[in-house]
Amino acid sequence: MPVPLSRIAVPLAAVMLSWQASAADLTVSAAASLTRAFTELAPLFEAQHPDTKVLLNFGASGALLQQIAKGAPADVYASADQASMNQAQSQGLVRAAERRNFVSNSLVVIVPAGGTTMPKTLQDLLGPAFSRVAIGQPASVPVGRYTKAVLEKCGLWAAIEPKVIGAQNVRQALDYVARGEVHAGFVYGTDAASMPDKVQVAFTVPTEEPVRYAVAPVEAGPNAAAARRFVSFLLTPSAQAVFARHGFGKP
Amino acid sequence: MHSPLTWDIDIRRRFEHAGRRFDLQVRFASHARRLILFGPSGAGKSQTLKVIAGLTTPDTGHVRLAGRTLWDHRAGIHMPTPERRLGYVFQDYALFPHLTVAQNVGFGVTRGARNPGRHATPPQVLRWLSAFDLAPLAHHYPEQLSGGQRQRTALARALVTEPHALLLDEPFAALDTVLRARLRHELAEWLDRLAVPMILITHDPADVDHLGDEVLTLSEGRVLPAGGATVATV
Amino acid sequence: MGTAWVPLALTLKVAGWATLLNLVLGVAVGFLLARKQFPGRDVLDALLTLPMVMPPTVLGYYLLVLIGRRGPLGGWLDATFGIQLIFTWQGAVIAATIVAFPLVFKASRAAFESVDPQLEQAACVLGVPEWAVFLRVTLPLAWRGVMAGLLLAFARATGEFGATLMVAGSIPGRTQTLSIAVYEAVQAGQDHVANSLVLITSVTCIAVLLIAGRLAPGRVAGQF
Repeated sequence: MPVPLSRIAVPLAAVMLSWQASAADLTVSAAASLTRAFTELAPLFEAQHPDTKVLLNFGASGALLQQIAKGAPADVYASADQASMNQAQSQGLVRAAERRNFVSNSLVVIVPAGGTTMPKTLQDLLGPAFSRVAIGQPASVPVGRYTKAVLEKCGLWAAIEPKVIGAQNVRQALDYVARGEVHAGFVYGTDAASMPDKVQVAFTVPTEEPVRYAVAPVEAGPNAAAARRFVSFLLTPSAQAVFARHGFGKP
Repeated sequence: MHSPLTWDIDIRRRFEHAGRRFDLQVRFASHARRLILFGPSGAGKSQTLKVIAGLTTPDTGHVRLAGRTLWDHRAGIHMPTPERRLGYVFQDYALFPHLTVAQNVGFGVTRGARNPGRHATPPQVLRWLSAFDLAPLAHHYPEQLSGGQRQRTALARALVTEPHALLLDEPFAALDTVLRARLRHELAEWLDRLAVPMILITHDPADVDHLGDEVLTLSEGRVLPAGGATVATV
Repeated sequence: MGTAWVPLALTLKVAGWATLLNLVLGVAVGFLLARKQFPGRDVLDALLTLPMVMPPTVLGYYLLVLIGRRGPLGGWLDATFGIQLIFTWQGAVIAATIVAFPLVFKASRAAFESVDPQLEQAACVLGVPEWAVFLRVTLPLAWRGVMAGLLLAFARATGEFGATLMVAGSIPGRTQTLSIAVYEAVQAGQDHVANSLVLITSVTCIAVLLIAGRLAPGRVAGQF
């Protein structure tokens, strides 16, 4: 039976007009590797601040930076490396005085679970058994930058580059390995730990600079007060315990 | 000396459409060279022609022309349409709109995957074009022709393949009386000249008078017992 | 920018192959559904139109699951022939073909349905076998409609992004088509690269439209 227009008009209008974020929303743009941890932390923050609703936006740190640079109304920016936050700071996009480091991570090489060959060193990745290696796009993904820096330092980047399958963010690199579409991939320790049944860690890669995540309120963000509270919240012991459970290290 | 029947048709076919049923049960056998199928519309005349041409397959029966069996259900003979060597003139002529008059007429004598060329016309096609007064129109397209010109093109196209029989579905229906009379006369001459047997569908009594050796009247899918014309029984 | 031409060449190659595949598949299927009656014909038509309505990422996911190394089709291809489709330009062609298929098949079906069956019957009676009737009568009369569908399909294939990204990834020189290259450039903050790519894409689209206008089949008497 056809629904009369009058009965759906009001709910339809409500849905179509609800795109406006309300004043009590807190928009957090966070690096993809923070997906699981932040998803768990958001309700905890909301419980402590019942008037605020946390909206999470995940992506590669570089991509998120571009969004903010082009005017996206984020309140908080959390990046997986110092370089992205430095760029944000130099462009005046974040409040430098309130910038903090809040967690650290490790870089690991993973292979699909049940795979026959396990590389022991970076050198092994040059072999024919690893014809496809997933690495985040260095131009916009921090994990890709860490990886490229290490490989360049060892003089292996040029040899590995033809085998690289570029990922849009670290979660995609993880997915490629989990599906068995690539023979190895570079991801964070926390990402590897999130899919223990699909991937296995071959070895940890010592990085040139420590993998330290930074967070800061966005300068032009609409909800400055809540942003400041969120940054402090990330450094509280209860939040840090959540991070530890997901495999992150201290900042 | 018993020569084979020119027409030996016995077909049965049930048509069902939108809950309505139409039973075609046409039987006739004849030596006539010029057979007319007469009757009101919806009587099954066009369907009969389509069956003879092989465009419709009946449920049972047989179709034999001058000793050639085109279709026999019991004997399992089913000659495909392209092999039947028949000429067919449709009610609205069915000229190929993307081909010129010359290409249309030469269509049946051109084998293979390509249509006859636009500029090179084979000599036999040229002969037919001039025989039907179509030479000046050779490079025209069907949409540029008058009704009478289209009819002549359709007829030329059907005859150029030297068919064993000619099937005409109300060939003059779309023409005015004067034109009709003239073309009827021309057709009669052609038929005499070529000695090609013909079945013609019409509901115009004038066609019957001028063209038919024998008339079959169809009504509601059946041949009515003749009044006047003789129908040989098998 | 020298490197901006690589995505263009790749895009044209992928879209070209996809359109060629769709010419064969779309015309065949369009003809079949136009002329043959069989139970479930409408259901089949709806299923075949699905890729046009489905979000490209959903389509990309289905494809990934199907032709990935652990998928039913992909696993078999890998085991039997050692063929891997993910992250290859052939995978990109498959994604583009599927996404654009409904455009060709629907346009072809409509075009074939508009051809008077009596013309095909006339050709048949004149002694021309069925396959030749298709080539000499049906296809020429339906060609305009089919062509319109093909042009839309080509345009759709050049712009394909979501499904392609999922199945073929973004590998410069191999699967990084124009639309993906623009996306990457924007993400990396390389505005000048993005600008060149966008300019090239726009010029290409205009060129395609102009060529389409010229290619309208030669003078055919009567409108079909």
